[in-house]
Amino acid sequence: MEKGQGGIQQLLAAEQEAQQIVAAARAAKSARLKQAKEEAEREVAEYRAQREAEFRKKLADSSGDSGSNVKRLEAETHEKIEHLKQEAAKVSPEVVELLIKYVTTVKN
Amino acid sequence: MVRFIKQEAEEKANEIAVSAEEEFNIEKLQIVEAEKRKIKQEYERKEKQLEIRKRIDYSMQLNASRLKVLQAQDDLVQGMKEAAEKQLASVSHHHHSYRKLLKDLIVQALLRLKEPSLLSRCRESDVDHVCEVLEDAKNEYMEKANVDHVHIHVDNQKFLPPAHDPKRPGHSCSGGVVLASKDGRIVCENTLDARLGVVFKQKLPEIRRRLFGGTGA
Repeated sequence: MEKGQGGIQQLLAAEQEAQQIVAAARAAKSARLKQAKEEAEREVAEYRAQREAEFRKKLADSSGDSGSNVKRLEAETHEKIEHLKQEAAKVSPEVVELLIKYVTTVKN
Repeated sequence: MVRFIKQEAEEKANEIAVSAEEEFNIEKLQIVEAEKRKIKQEYERKEKQLEIRKRIDYSMQLNASRLKVLQAQDDLVQGMKEAAEKQLASVSHHHHSYRKLLKDLIVQALLRLKEPSLLSRCRESDVDHVCEVLEDAKNEYMEKANVDHVHIHVDNQKFLPPAHDPKRPGHSCSGGVVLASKDGRIVCENTLDARLGVVFKQKLPEIRRRLFGGTGA
């Protein structure tokens, strides 16, 4: 009789322990899944930071380009206009003479 | 028996642990991939807008500088017209050639109008010249037009504006004549200024071509 009772108690203890083992495993699983979310968020944040940095750099490069483009265009335009002025000065007397000639020549 | 229970529990715990790892990896991967894709799209859109903005800005600047050049061309050509206007003022100073010119202008106007009776108007300072050459002009016209009569009244009440004077602003006239039919309905403006306007307009394409080579930009 005692042997039987001791045996049952042992079984109950073992049963309890077993339940604890499984419960612990389940808890560990939950924790692991929570970790998945946290680690995922961290990786995502890192990726976003990386893309942001790339974007910032593109932005800076672009405005640098714009600035130099404006300068280049302005210089080119100025040169074109100076050249035009020179050409005009060269040709002007001839043109004026031609115009006056046409005004003062009458073919009847 | 006890061992069996414990073993069963540990096996179950292992299964749970393995599935935990699997689910961990899947969950993490899914979240990361989904979020990364969204971020990638977001930044690609931003970068595209940046590119578009850059191109628009450059195009605007290019247009602005083209306009500047075109404006400069226009100003230079106008400058030439003004230079001609200045020189025009001295045409009437050479009395001999100016008289001949006045005669030719009168004849030209007469031939254009082909009226029997006309009114002629000139600058006050030119009245004497006009009167001097009027007969010759009439004769030349009558011969060329094959008519035997023409009447011209030289207006000595109203005159064309005087020569340009920097001290006196307002309208000026460098010379020439205006002829009108008697009723005033048909007018031939044969002033030097009007002629310059016409010639300038006609010759503008040629002048521009000579200066700017035809590309125009």
